[in-house]
Amino acid sequence: MLAAREGASSELRLSGGLAPQLQLTVGTKGELIMRAQCQILSEDEKQRVHAESLKILEQVGVKFLSQRALKIMKDNGAKVDDDTGIAKIPVEMVEQALKTAPKSFVLGGRDPARDVELPRPTAGYVLDLGGVFTRDFKTGERRYATLQDNNDAMRVFDEMELSSVVWPHSTVEGDTPNSDSIRLILNSFMNSSLHVQDEFGEPEEVPYIYEAMAAILGSEDAVKERKLYSVTYCTLAPLVHEGGMCDAYLDMIEFEAPILIYPMPCTGSTGPCSLFSNIAMGNAEALSSLVLFQMAHPGTPLIFGDASGSTDFASGGFLEGSPEMVLMTAARGEMAKFYGLPNTQQGCTTDAKEPGPQAVLEKLLTTMPLVLSGADLVQGPGCLETSGLLCLEQIVVDEEIGGICRRMREGIDLSDEKNLYDDIADVGPSGHFLMQDSTLDACRSDEFYAPKLFDRHTFERWAELGRSDIYSKARERVEEILATPQKNPLSDDVIGKLDEIMRRADEELK
Amino acid sequence: MSIEDIFQSILQLKRGEIADLVQAEIDAKTDVGVILEQGLINAMGEVGDQFTEGKLFVPEMLRAAETMKIGLEVLRPLLIEADINPRGTVIVGTVKGDLHDIGKNLVGMMLEGAGFTVVDLGVDVEPKAFLDAAGENQAELVAMSALLTTTMPVMAQCIEQFKEANMGARILVGGAPVNQDFAIKISADGYSSDAPGAVELAKNLVPA
Repeated sequence: MLAAREGASSELRLSGGLAPQLQLTVGTKGELIMRAQCQILSEDEKQRVHAESLKILEQVGVKFLSQRALKIMKDNGAKVDDDTGIAKIPVEMVEQALKTAPKSFVLGGRDPARDVELPRPTAGYVLDLGGVFTRDFKTGERRYATLQDNNDAMRVFDEMELSSVVWPHSTVEGDTPNSDSIRLILNSFMNSSLHVQDEFGEPEEVPYIYEAMAAILGSEDAVKERKLYSVTYCTLAPLVHEGGMCDAYLDMIEFEAPILIYPMPCTGSTGPCSLFSNIAMGNAEALSSLVLFQMAHPGTPLIFGDASGSTDFASGGFLEGSPEMVLMTAARGEMAKFYGLPNTQQGCTTDAKEPGPQAVLEKLLTTMPLVLSGADLVQGPGCLETSGLLCLEQIVVDEEIGGICRRMREGIDLSDEKNLYDDIADVGPSGHFLMQDSTLDACRSDEFYAPKLFDRHTFERWAELGRSDIYSKARERVEEILATPQKNPLSDDVIGKLDEIMRRADEELK
Repeated sequence: MSIEDIFQSILQLKRGEIADLVQAEIDAKTDVGVILEQGLINAMGEVGDQFTEGKLFVPEMLRAAETMKIGLEVLRPLLIEADINPRGTVIVGTVKGDLHDIGKNLVGMMLEGAGFTVVDLGVDVEPKAFLDAAGENQAELVAMSALLTTTMPVMAQCIEQFKEANMGARILVGGAPVNQDFAIKISADGYSSDAPGAVELAKNLVPA
């Protein structure tokens, strides 16, 4: 089966189905590259998901709790029932929205060297601090998170190679509840050099965040252009758009901040109880958000994401570490590619309550298919307990998982350069390849992944070194990062300005 | 036909059969209090136990509760006539600003199964609405849910208002970001991390 792929003149897919496949790709320079990849949905299956999504939008419709949103939908051709607030969205609106949504853009890092271009050739990672609990680094106690936990996590994640974007922590402490999220966002800018993404609370917060970005960038004009901040928009499954959040985003859209569209239907509870229909419904929710924001402001940069879950039928709880979860988010990532839109998919997630084998297994399970199927960003590192519990050492372990998955994504290079027939002829039967020039050149190259945490010593050496495991090494790394001064801090002058903005927000938003 | 058949119809999730089974017991002049306690409530007690042990799944538990409710509807006119009041009344709702309702619905269904009369105020519920509903229904309990850190403080406001109004209803709180410490801090009468735990709490606070 032949299929076109961007950047490649032709591509031969050797087998269908879910199993990791070998793809023989002819590169733009005519070189042959073998890649390990994974495909969840075939082209035909993507068409079926798309058709089901359109049917849901056109016949069932989507409920908007925001009157402003409902008016936008009505003015642009949706059939709106004013009594129920349900808009039935015709296919033409979806097609129009897909035309105006940008296919590529850049999430600006606070440090331009950490800019994130979307789409990406291999997955980047989003620090997941959506929960309210932290596993205390010293005592191991599970407790409510503090601002300091947020800042420590930012510092640790900043040192990870695959880091792309940070989500600030959710906290429940504080005497200034109305300005807490501003404090968390500004502290994230202070402690991280990465792009900051957050779920947005109230329209009143917007001016403070933009003033802070202008202070960091040195000019107001640069705020729109550099895009240091983006927001997460979660629809409320099944098929509802919240009121206040929707209005706040419609206000903010004028600043051209990117929006991550992030439906979270949970198959079996807030979503239908089959993966197929849960994917179709989540896709319909995402398309309805795409329509809303493109109709409100054509050209708004949107990330077509997904954070589907599966239900723990014993408790009714949301599961993020299950094989079904990643099958759905990977499939939705493929739908984003089908539409030509950048994407963030939930993965590298676990339902384990503590660091340990379950966490590692589930995180590897929920990362690999996303990376192999070509997701742009994977949102999940750093947390345990279904994204509810921050664990600093897990950030380092998750970096290792990301490294392994990237290596798998890169696959096997079958270029002429990697054809070492001459070495085989030179060494001949018996002998070894340790002295070959090619071995010397390759032993530190990307051809071979060098783990940072896995132990590969002999038993005796491992015992001599203190019988370390991946978590003990990860803890050492965390200690080391937190003990050294922050690299690339903001200037004292900018920090002073941000402090002043936070003080003002505390006062004015009381 | 026997009380045991009613009990079993709930455990076997036979919602199509229970109305006839309850009617047959009524026709056989079995005491309505006995049908309620030994047939319906005991069955839901067993369902609750099996659910807690992980033997029953949520969709099964909900179907059992639905089956029980169909039986209860048949019995209700006679219960009113005989002045038999099931366990007590609970007001349930998700607090203002929050639209998440699955956990709250689960708790409501299980409380009904345990014999409580449940008044469900839905989602995005103002503290005053909890207060009014508790007064109007002379509720023994109020169970509030929140899934967002931004809406947790509403629980505290609500408890404050109950105190100011000198309302006697006991207040239970729950939801993913809530924990025991938080419940103590805002002076709630109880916290549970899951629905069966909430029912246990309710039973302890309002003994039969």
